[in-house]
Amino acid sequence: MIRLILQIWESFKEYIILVLLIITGLVIISVNNKPAVKQVRAFAFATFAASTSFISDVINISGIKSDNERLRERNAELMLQINRLREYGIVNAQLKGMIGIKDTTQLPLFPASVVAKSLSRSQGVLTINAGTQDGVRIGMPVINDQGLVGIVYSTSDRFAIVRTLKNMDLKLTVKDERSRIDGIMKWTGSELVIIDVPKTYDVEPGDRIITSDLSTVVAVPLPIGIVTGLSNVRTGIFNEITVKPFVNFEAVDYVFVVGLVQSKQKNELELNFYNR
Amino acid sequence: MRTEYFIPVILFFPVIILQITFIPLISVYGIIPDLVIILLVFYTIQNGQIYGTILGFILGLLFDLITGGLLGSSIISKTCAGFTAGYFSNENKRDFYLRTYMFSVVVLAAAVIDSVVNSVFSSIDLRANFLQLVIEQGFFPGLYTALLSVIIVIFMPKRSFT
Repeated sequence: MIRLILQIWESFKEYIILVLLIITGLVIISVNNKPAVKQVRAFAFATFAASTSFISDVINISGIKSDNERLRERNAELMLQINRLREYGIVNAQLKGMIGIKDTTQLPLFPASVVAKSLSRSQGVLTINAGTQDGVRIGMPVINDQGLVGIVYSTSDRFAIVRTLKNMDLKLTVKDERSRIDGIMKWTGSELVIIDVPKTYDVEPGDRIITSDLSTVVAVPLPIGIVTGLSNVRTGIFNEITVKPFVNFEAVDYVFVVGLVQSKQKNELELNFYNR
Repeated sequence: MRTEYFIPVILFFPVIILQITFIPLISVYGIIPDLVIILLVFYTIQNGQIYGTILGFILGLLFDLITGGLLGSSIISKTCAGFTAGYFSNENKRDFYLRTYMFSVVVLAAAVIDSVVNSVFSSIDLRANFLQLVIEQGFFPGLYTALLSVIIVIFMPKRSFT
């Protein structure tokens, strides 16, 4: 018997090892969301992120000059825009005061720089150099000057992992800024789409997509992208709306974490797609 | 146990630092080459299929832990890539596979398998066309990785490593 086993081992050892290692990999995938595994991962990425932050700082320095010029120009544009919005704000506050609607509170922003990027086709992930010590919590949205970058997925003391919009595990409730229609947006591996939008809904190419007030993950309107087209138009009763994100994920260097946490009360009442 | 077996694990750390800091800067339409695969293929051809399979598992585990992706997807994909590269570790042809442009062909095969398996495990979308998945998420990143591996062939010392 032992001889037979040894014979089989000798003949097929490469395959036996391959199968055993793949089974181990599958077991590891199945325990991905266990707290102990999450702790190990947080420790591993935090330890490593400390060294990558130094290297990424060196790489980023070369781009600072051109960034500065671009930001100065953007600053000037925003200054003009703020002036106009300030006027609207005053009128808005007066009107809201007249009809008694509560105003939205200001949200704190935690600055951070990206120290590592793992941008595979399906699992876009960034590591940023701000963690729980800086006030960053799991579930907080991450933005840059172009729009929503992603959501904080895991944190350590000094670092955090951010799932970008180009991550198949991140689904968000979004809305069309013009027609106010809500939908669920996800990354398919090749494009951002808003799924299962009834064909009767008014969505057109060129519409801006922002996060929806209905979202329990990001309940403030943050820009996401622009509608580039409708797919699945001829068959079925639903459209898939393709969205081109404002953010260039390959070029993200500096971000802000928005100090906004998911509403537990809201979560208890509604489905939270982020946790699914 | 031979200490040189651990060299790729040590080399993995500078390679992964490059992978997550510098390599995203040279992405083309979101396609990113995978330096870890080049390292894996190189040492698999040198040391054999079983070594390559186990090395793929270890590098995949470290990759998943460090990058924060789905833990396990790179373990399986890099184990399969190491196993595939192992078919080219014939003792008589080792030099041929390491020191000629055949190295890039082996890298292409391993990288395509790595990308496809990784995509399947980290992004199962039943509506996706499998051929499209192989081409978009497997072939293009694999091709880019293979092109980058040409540098290794060009700068490879004629008498070393073996």
